Amino acid sequence: MKKPDVKIVLLGDMNVGKTSLLHRYMERRFQETVSTVGGAFYLKQWRSYNISIWDTAGREQFHGLGSMYCRGATAIILTYDVNHLQSLVELEDRFLSLTDTASTDCLFAIVGNKIDLTDEGDAEGGAEGLKEQGKALSGRARASRRVRLDDAVALYKKILKYRMLDEKEVPAAEEMCFETSAKTGYNVDHVFETLFDMVVPIILRQRAEGPSQTVDITNYKPVKRTQSRCCD
Amino acid sequence: MMNIKAFRLVSAIERELLMGDKDHINIECIECCGKNLYVGTNDCFIYHFLLEEKMSPTGKVAFSATKQRHKYLAFKKPVNELKAASALNRLLVLCDNTIALVNMMNLEPIPSGARIKGAVTFALNENPVSVDPFCVEVCIISVKRRTIQMYLVYEDRVQIVKEVSTSEQPFAVAVDGHFLCLALTTQYIILNYNTGASQDLFPYCSEERQPIVKRIGRKEFLLAGPGGLGMFATVDGISQRAPVHWSENVIGAAICFPYVIALDDEFITVHSMLDQQRKQTLPFKEGHILQDFEGRVIVATSKGVYILVPLPLERQIQDLLASQRVEEALVLAKGARRNIPKEKFQVMYRRILQQAGFIQFAQLQFLEAKELFRSGQLDVRELISLYPFLLPTTSSFTRSHPPLHEYADLNQLTQGDQEKMTKCKRFLMSYLNEVRSTEVANGYKEDIDTALLKLYAEADHESLLDLLVTENFCLLTDSVAWLEKHKKYFALGLLYHYNGQDAAAVQLWVNIVNGEIHDSTRSDLYEYIVDFLTYCLDQELVWKYAEWVLQKSEEVGVQIFTKRPLEEQQKNNFNPDDIINCLKKYPKSIIKYLEHLVVDRKVQKEEYHTHLAILYLEKVLQQKPSANGNCAEVTETQAKLRSLLQKSDLYRVHCLIDKIQGTSLHMESAILHGKLEEHDKALHILVHELKDFSAARDYCLWSSQGRDAPYRRRLFHMLLSIYLEPGPSACDLALAAVDLLNLHAAEFDAARVLELVPDGWSVQLLAPFLTRALRESLHTRRMTQAALGLASSENLLYKHDKIKLKGSPVRLSDKKLCQMCESPFCEPAFVRYPNGGVVHTHCAASRHTNPSSSSPGSRT
Repeated sequence: MKKPDVKIVLLGDMNVGKTSLLHRYMERRFQETVSTVGGAFYLKQWRSYNISIWDTAGREQFHGLGSMYCRGATAIILTYDVNHLQSLVELEDRFLSLTDTASTDCLFAIVGNKIDLTDEGDAEGGAEGLKEQGKALSGRARASRRVRLDDAVALYKKILKYRMLDEKEVPAAEEMCFETSAKTGYNVDHVFETLFDMVVPIILRQRAEGPSQTVDITNYKPVKRTQSRCCD
Repeated sequence: MMNIKAFRLVSAIERELLMGDKDHINIECIECCGKNLYVGTNDCFIYHFLLEEKMSPTGKVAFSATKQRHKYLAFKKPVNELKAASALNRLLVLCDNTIALVNMMNLEPIPSGARIKGAVTFALNENPVSVDPFCVEVCIISVKRRTIQMYLVYEDRVQIVKEVSTSEQPFAVAVDGHFLCLALTTQYIILNYNTGASQDLFPYCSEERQPIVKRIGRKEFLLAGPGGLGMFATVDGISQRAPVHWSENVIGAAICFPYVIALDDEFITVHSMLDQQRKQTLPFKEGHILQDFEGRVIVATSKGVYILVPLPLERQIQDLLASQRVEEALVLAKGARRNIPKEKFQVMYRRILQQAGFIQFAQLQFLEAKELFRSGQLDVRELISLYPFLLPTTSSFTRSHPPLHEYADLNQLTQGDQEKMTKCKRFLMSYLNEVRSTEVANGYKEDIDTALLKLYAEADHESLLDLLVTENFCLLTDSVAWLEKHKKYFALGLLYHYNGQDAAAVQLWVNIVNGEIHDSTRSDLYEYIVDFLTYCLDQELVWKYAEWVLQKSEEVGVQIFTKRPLEEQQKNNFNPDDIINCLKKYPKSIIKYLEHLVVDRKVQKEEYHTHLAILYLEKVLQQKPSANGNCAEVTETQAKLRSLLQKSDLYRVHCLIDKIQGTSLHMESAILHGKLEEHDKALHILVHELKDFSAARDYCLWSSQGRDAPYRRRLFHMLLSIYLEPGPSACDLALAAVDLLNLHAAEFDAARVLELVPDGWSVQLLAPFLTRALRESLHTRRMTQAALGLASSENLLYKHDKIKLKGSPVRLSDKKLCQMCESPFCEPAFVRYPNGGVVHTHCAASRHTNPSSSSPGSRT
């Protein structure tokens, strides 16, 4: 098994489409998925680097596993459903604390999925039929107010405060908040590839700082022997 | 969920052997170390069996256990746990919260009575920190609340090394190096007992569900997680593998690479660590122990012990392939890499890739198939042999055994579906085309190229010709038969040619052109043949088809002689006389050929030049009467004739003059007279017969080309005198004379002209001539003056040199010796070189060159 250079973790409430996003990106198609059990993991070759992407389970039952999955993560993708405000609220309430174990310079991306189901979900020229389908599929989505991108931007700024990060030293909110559709594929590659490009310099930095693989024998300090004499 | 058969459940110890008919006896724990199998019971007995593995005649593994002895521990408590420390020959027995040491062989307690008291459960460190091979590291969960203790256990003593307290009560422990993986009341943690640092893993309620903590390898543990997950965690607190999904009530877990095996009250489930999928489910009721011992997985109910025998990986992979589960098979094979010696693995893996390739191929998944064939380094002939008749009849190839696939041939594979068949053929074409130039083709180039030729011919593919005109290894007999069958005669010709049988090739093509056989590959086949013969080195072949080619087209056909490659011409393989002889019947051809000799190759041979001139002349004369019809061509030939007559000096002029006499070819006869230096005659013809004054002027120019100025002047004067001769058309001629003078003033001697011109001409009429003549004369005068000046100054320079040389006297005495012969001077005459050297006159004469000066000066 190839050893991953970095870890990226997808977090978010159940049914926001984490698995579908990852599936769309990795397999290039949309597939109705079942609720993820525990977590799954993909290895993506990006240029010469191996990036592991963890898909976590959104269900409350597996919430406790989140911290472990996030441990040492280089980037975290917080995912919500643009048709479901509560899923954005949950990110702050439930999921943000899981990221405590992530590495200190961890990148955050906020992704609003299911843009194809919104009334104005014609970012990619959504056809009437698509909307109809959306209505049929998700009655819940119809009733809810669509989450604005500004809300995600606001959350991003809160995260920076929570992580005590300086806004000037991290990518701007506008760069890190996305709206996607795993179903149509809209913006999906952009999310992952933007992040991959951002983690590459981190990999290089880690390699530079990382523990040296060689043993420095010049550092060896001989243990001082107490002088012992045979006969005084 | 698709299953594979990864394990077989085999009974190890029959119930009778253990407890006979005593129903109250239950198995509490087991330990297996090499062939030694230990069983601890609820009535405080330890049983020792020797386990023998046997191969049944059907190739299945079976076990037989022979009871060695048993031992009653006299606590009246169940034996909770057994662990063998084979290096110490000790068995660690946990019973009644005490870990006792007994002899592994005879089960007697050790004489020293060393023991660890107050243990709830314990674990051995399989990655010990200590370097002493004769001690084992034991971690116990103490009966004291929230306490863990580390012990070193020697042959006959125990030693506590560390005690750590935990934040909550621990329930289960596993050890790796300094790291403890602990199941606490509400969560799992990693604890470094050396530094005390701890790392939370994830929450788990140990009181609700029995936790599982199992070390599965270096620094990695398997834990029972929420929702029946089997979670992987490393000592760093991270997960490197995705979890496996067990049932909620799992009781035990074991590892047998690449599988995770779990036990619940009804089933044994097998998951792959490679793709996290469940691979096998074995019904197993009332199981309560599942453990792996050095790779051997043992499962037990309270009454009987069973062994899960893994099926050989290769067998499992073959099963997967048989059910077309290519991806899983490949994952399993790749995962097995580290468990199989490298050489063996590579052979096995390659074969699996090839098999997988054929599975994909049969499903027409050509891209995937190609990649698998490539990475599996498939012998291409395996693939070719699927297609009927493609392998050469001479091929010694036999398919590998056991077969890589189940198909006899493509017909069976496609079940006669023509569309599929075509797709398969198209794939093979592209595949063979890709590999034929790679190392994959080494050794089978004949097979590949012949197969490719057959495919191309059958599919009427344009690449057939490319294949045949570039380097190829098509086998002749096979290919000939196939190309004939598919009526690819042109291609067949190419094949013959590639195999050095040019005669056969040309004959075939000629037959196509003659319509004897049909192949419309090339509409310009005749030109192709001409081209082919042009570059053909076989003279005999060229001669054989020369007549045929010329009969088809004189102009094109003659190219076989005129366009031959330069290097061949230089060797002069073809005798021009033979060719001319052959071309006699073909007037157009012979002209072209002579033109080629005279104009292109510039052969300087009188007969060719004369012959060509005569042919031109004949043609011109022949066409003259019907001049109206083919005007352009007449002038073209005539132009060629004139150009030849003008430029060549080799033809026999008299012969041509004889032929031209009495014809109206005045220009030509003027040229011929010019060649004989009969300029007067020539100019007369031009001026009087043709009345073409510009032609007359041009005549003067080209006739004097390469001659000196007086010669040219003579011609111009001659022309002028002709113009000025009295005659009937004197007026026209006078005008011509004026034009000539004015346009070519420089060609005349002005003084003589002025004598010649009639007195009646005005100065104005000849103004341009006079101006230029005057100008010329002035120019000449000035040039001469300049030259004179330069010459006299040069003369001065020489005089200066002379005076300088004369400046110093040369003394000649008895003592002075000649520099050359080194003898004294006997007479006053001597030679002095400009560098001062003095020699005898005869010495200077005998030696013309002096090393230091080339211009000897002499003085007497």
